[in-house]
Amino acid sequence: MAKSLAPSPPLSRLSLRVRTSVLGYALVAPVALCLLALVFYPFVFAVWISFTDREIGKVGEFVGLANFRYLAGLPSFRKTIVNTIVLVGSVQALKLVFGLGIALLLNQGIRLRQFWRGLILLPWAMPSFVAYLTWQLLYAPQGGAFNIIAVGLGFNNIDFLSKDLAMPSVILATFWRGFPFWVISFLAALQAVPQELYEAAAIDGASAWQRFLNITVPGIRHVVLVVVLLSTIWTTNGFENVWLLTQGGPSDATMTFPVLAYFGLQTLRIGEASAVSVAMLPVFTMLALVGVKLLERGQE
Amino acid sequence: MKSHRSHTQFVRSRFVVLPLLTALLAACAAPPPAAAPSAPAAEATKPAAAAPTAVPTKITAPPLSEKFTYWGGLIFSDVANKMIEARIKQWGKEKGIEVEVVMINQNETQQKVAAAVEAGSMPDALDMGTGLMQLLSKNGQLEGLDDTFKAIGDAHGGWLDSAGKSVDPAKYGGKVYGVPFGLSGNLINRRDDLLAAAGFADGPKTWEELGQMAEKINAPPKVYGMAFALSNVGDGNLTELMLQTWGGRIADDAGKKCTIDSAETRAFLEWITGRYKAGLFPPGATTWDGAGDNKAYQAGQAGFIANPGSVYLNLKANDPELLKASKYSGMPAGPKMKLQPYGPNVRAIPSTSRFKEQAKDLLMYLADKQFMADYYMNAIYGPVLKDQIDAPVFKESVVHMGLLDVAQNGTPPSFPDVDNPAKAEFSSNFLVPKMIQRIVVDNNSIDDAVKETQGACQAIYDKYK
Repeated sequence: MAKSLAPSPPLSRLSLRVRTSVLGYALVAPVALCLLALVFYPFVFAVWISFTDREIGKVGEFVGLANFRYLAGLPSFRKTIVNTIVLVGSVQALKLVFGLGIALLLNQGIRLRQFWRGLILLPWAMPSFVAYLTWQLLYAPQGGAFNIIAVGLGFNNIDFLSKDLAMPSVILATFWRGFPFWVISFLAALQAVPQELYEAAAIDGASAWQRFLNITVPGIRHVVLVVVLLSTIWTTNGFENVWLLTQGGPSDATMTFPVLAYFGLQTLRIGEASAVSVAMLPVFTMLALVGVKLLERGQE
Repeated sequence: MKSHRSHTQFVRSRFVVLPLLTALLAACAAPPPAAAPSAPAAEATKPAAAAPTAVPTKITAPPLSEKFTYWGGLIFSDVANKMIEARIKQWGKEKGIEVEVVMINQNETQQKVAAAVEAGSMPDALDMGTGLMQLLSKNGQLEGLDDTFKAIGDAHGGWLDSAGKSVDPAKYGGKVYGVPFGLSGNLINRRDDLLAAAGFADGPKTWEELGQMAEKINAPPKVYGMAFALSNVGDGNLTELMLQTWGGRIADDAGKKCTIDSAETRAFLEWITGRYKAGLFPPGATTWDGAGDNKAYQAGQAGFIANPGSVYLNLKANDPELLKASKYSGMPAGPKMKLQPYGPNVRAIPSTSRFKEQAKDLLMYLADKQFMADYYMNAIYGPVLKDQIDAPVFKESVVHMGLLDVAQNGTPPSFPDVDNPAKAEFSSNFLVPKMIQRIVVDNNSIDDAVKETQGACQAIYDKYK
């Protein structure tokens, strides 16, 4: 009885909502299908084969966690986890500090501003293998540009790719190649922060640091989060930087997940190679979840 | 109003979240899987009358819409690369077949083939080493070539023993899966000018002797005595051979149980790490890429390197002075044995090739005596067929004479170890150079390095039980 007494929504309004929904789903459907085919299916497939003994040209059989157990037993794997964290953490920290600093500078009315903005993009515009081969030449112990300068200044030859310096060298090259993306993204975000807010704060007597903390940071926070997340994923998956400079050596000092997966592929055992990639999944999932949470909290 | 704002927030946050999740998924995704190998060729594209013999008498041209694809392996000689390309195109022209020749970096053959097998886009024929041949034939990815192998041998006075053993059906899955076309082999390149000044007239007979000679001419940072790669690249696996000459073995005679942990291995490690700590290796040798040793020698900064001939060709073209100052010799002996392995290079036909008979015909065509004589003049390979031994280059060029010696008197790949897929995976993981790195880079003890390598080796061999 009670049900029949409840006021029902007007038919025309309901049908409009239904119509809108149907149209919305229809518009989203092609993109959703593309994502399913090009992203979701390969992703699920990669996860699946990491649980098989699949080799190139042979359909594998389910082996449970055998590939992961094998990986966990590799001395290289333990070093790989540490190296990947150190590499990604250091590179992202450098990119954040320098990227934001340079973006703030380029947002000011400095001379030749357009020229500097264009110049900053060069490392990003360069093909990555060219960039890292150039760094390899700079680092070369014999005849490398850095060593020519060092010897010219009266220092001894420095092996930039030795055990202690290999990781800092890879970090520096990776930072150099990737920081322009951060600068440009931050610059775009800075330009979207309303100028009036700064003017009002200045009238109220806010210092430059207070303006940065209370206007700039909240104004660009979303862009920073997205850039950090995307760049973290890209840097973690970076292959050329390590491969072209050190091949993961010396003695696994710069071994990262993509290089380890590449070694797996050399033996055509794609089940194992895939397990290396899938082993990174929990880290990426956590990153994405944290990012989503922060974004949602920001909007609340 | 509130609900409208929250809906907007919802939509906006999804706009940000969706790309993030997409990037996340893409980050972990592997390339799309290959369809199961498709049925070989549609009936229409098969030769009308596939010749049962090795020498196809009639070649049916494939439809114009489909090209015959060949993947050649790039070597350090542009002339040789162009010769192969031109020869294959000439064959296509003579047979009325549209041909595409793709020359690929041999360091990437394995990865390209892996992707092509999964994507179902393998070429109709290609060059490869016997390691890859072994891995692919194990999974049914290569066509048996017994008839072609026999026919080419019969037409050219027979195969050299080394070439025959390289594709021996008894060792590699019961069939011949590759037709050899050149044997690679490392020679020791040495700075004779520096060594002569230090009182050494001949090349080193043993590794110990090489170490002593290297010590005499070592003058860092200008010249380093021993410029052998100790990094995670193919050149680094020369240390595997050194270890074997000390009597060390990767695995037992059955090819099942790892035997790295031995007194012989420790003795070898004492020797090589001692030479490293004495400063005979250039800085960077533990991270060199495949060309690191070449570059060091060509820059005049290395006393000894091991090289298959590319450095000789480079010096011949660019540095006659250093060429004159260089001499070449075979691999030195260790305390227990002397090894001079040959590395077979073969042409193979994938089982998915649409034009198998045409491909076999091409392999016959490429084995032509005169063409190969001209090719060897520019390439850095030893001969594989008996009638190739008389080619002028094997009498004129000091490096080619060395390669001829390797082809006639060399030892099979991996010997004295069993050349099986487990050994191939062991080598692909560069575990011997890594064992050395653990000592000279990480300062681990020899004992710890040996034990770690023994464990990693056994884990690999266990997968193939």
